[in-house]
Amino acid sequence: MQALAAFRDARVTRALRLGFVVAALAVAGCAGAPRVDGTSLPAVELEDVPFFPQTDYQCGPAALATILAHEGLPVDADSLAPAVYIEGLRGSLQAELLAATRRHGLVPYRLRPDPDALFAEVGSGKPVLVLQNLGLDRFPVWHYAVVVGFDPARREVLLRSGTEHRRREPLKRFLRSWARADHWAFVAAAPDEPPVTADADGWIRAVTDAARVLAPSSADAALHAATSRWPNAPIVMYASAVRAGEAGRWEDAARAYAMLLEHEPGNVAARNNLANMLAEGGCLGEALRQARAALEDVRTDSPLRPAIEDTVETLVRRSEAATAEPAYCASFP
Amino acid sequence: MRRRRFGPSVLMLCALLVAPLQSTSYAAVIGTEQYLGAMERERALERIDAVLAREAVRERLTQLGVDPADALERAAALSDAELLALAENLEELPAGGSLLGVIGVVFVVLLILELVGVTDVFNKI
Repeated sequence: MQALAAFRDARVTRALRLGFVVAALAVAGCAGAPRVDGTSLPAVELEDVPFFPQTDYQCGPAALATILAHEGLPVDADSLAPAVYIEGLRGSLQAELLAATRRHGLVPYRLRPDPDALFAEVGSGKPVLVLQNLGLDRFPVWHYAVVVGFDPARREVLLRSGTEHRRREPLKRFLRSWARADHWAFVAAAPDEPPVTADADGWIRAVTDAARVLAPSSADAALHAATSRWPNAPIVMYASAVRAGEAGRWEDAARAYAMLLEHEPGNVAARNNLANMLAEGGCLGEALRQARAALEDVRTDSPLRPAIEDTVETLVRRSEAATAEPAYCASFP
Repeated sequence: MRRRRFGPSVLMLCALLVAPLQSTSYAAVIGTEQYLGAMERERALERIDAVLAREAVRERLTQLGVDPADALERAAALSDAELLALAENLEELPAGGSLLGVIGVVFVVLLILELVGVTDVFNKI
C-alpha cells in the first residue's frame, strides 16, 4: 500500500487526471453531495481529542475510543474491539457503535444529516464520529473517522482517521464521502447534557433507546435535562410521565398525562396511560372513563389499539369488584 | 439463498416463557419506546418480536466470530428498532473498516478513481 501511495503522488497522476476527468465527474455527480462551500463555517479545532491509530480493519473501535476517551472514559481501541468488532465482516456495524456508547453510560445522539449540525457540534467541543464511504455507491468502502475541526482558510476538514493523527481532507471530498454514507454521524453525550444541535424528539428517542442499559439515575438525569431545555415539548412530558409511573409515583404521572392531554387531547397513548395511573391510585371510575374515551378515539389499525383494549378490559373487570373510591379521586381530572 | 430468520430453538422457547414476567405491574401502560414506534408508523414491534430478534442477532454475531458472552451483552444494548434491522439484514448493512469485496475489476476501477481524486480508499490503509 506504500507503493500505491507513492504511485499516487507520481507525475503520471496528472496525465491520468486529464484523461479521466470526464468519467470521474460523471461518477462524482451521483454522490449527491450538498452544496456547501465552507465559507460560512467558523474555524475550530479540538486539539485535545485523543488519538487511537487503527490496526487492521478496526477503524470502528479506534474511532469509538476517540470519542469515548474524550469524555473521560478509560478506553482504547483494543478494549472496545470485543464490544463492536465483527471478525466475520472485518468491520463494525453502526448500531453496535451506538450500543457500545450506551454501555459506557453515555447517550449516543445521531446528528441531523447536514454539515451545519456536524460543525456546530464540533464548535461546541464535541468530536463527531462519522461514517464515510470512501468508495462508490456501487462498490462501497466503509470507514469510520472522527471530525475534530475545520480550517476555513484552506477549506479542509480535520480528522482523527485510520493511522493519521491529524488528517486534513478537502471539505468537498469529505462531504462527498459522508453523503455516500447517508450523512451518518453521532456524538457521545453525557446524560445530563443534550448536544447543542439536539431537538426534543431526537433526544427522547436517543435516551429511550439507551434506557435499558443506562443506570436509572442517568435516565432520570437525561429526562430532567430534557425538561429544563424543552419544558413544553409533548414528547418530553410523555417520557417524564412514563418514568414517574415506572418509579411508582402514580399521582405525579397522572398529573403529567393530564397536562399533556390539555395540549394534545387526541393523544390516545397518554389517555390510556392516564387511565392506568388512576387505576393504580384506586380511582377506577375516572380511569374507566378515560380508557373508554381513548378506545373511542384510537384508529382501528393503530398499533396502540391492543394495549388500550387491554386497559379497558382490565378496568371493567376490576370495577366489578371495586368498593368505594378514595376521596382524592374527586380531584381527577 | 434465503436466510433463515427466526428459527425455533430452545433458547427462544425459554425467552417466550420468560417474557411475560418482565412486564410492569400495569401491563397496559404504553411505554415511551412503543409510543415513539407507533408515532413513526414503524411496524408495531411486539415485545415478543424484540425478544426473538435479540436472540437472532446474538446467534448471528456468534456465527461471525464474536465471543458468545460478548454477543449476549452486545445484543442486549441494541434498541428494538436496531435489533429488527440487524435481525433482518445484518450482512447487507455497512460494516465500517472493511476492504472485503474490493477485488479484481472493482479494485482497478477504485484505483483509477483514486488517482483522479474521486475516491479516497488507499489513503486509509
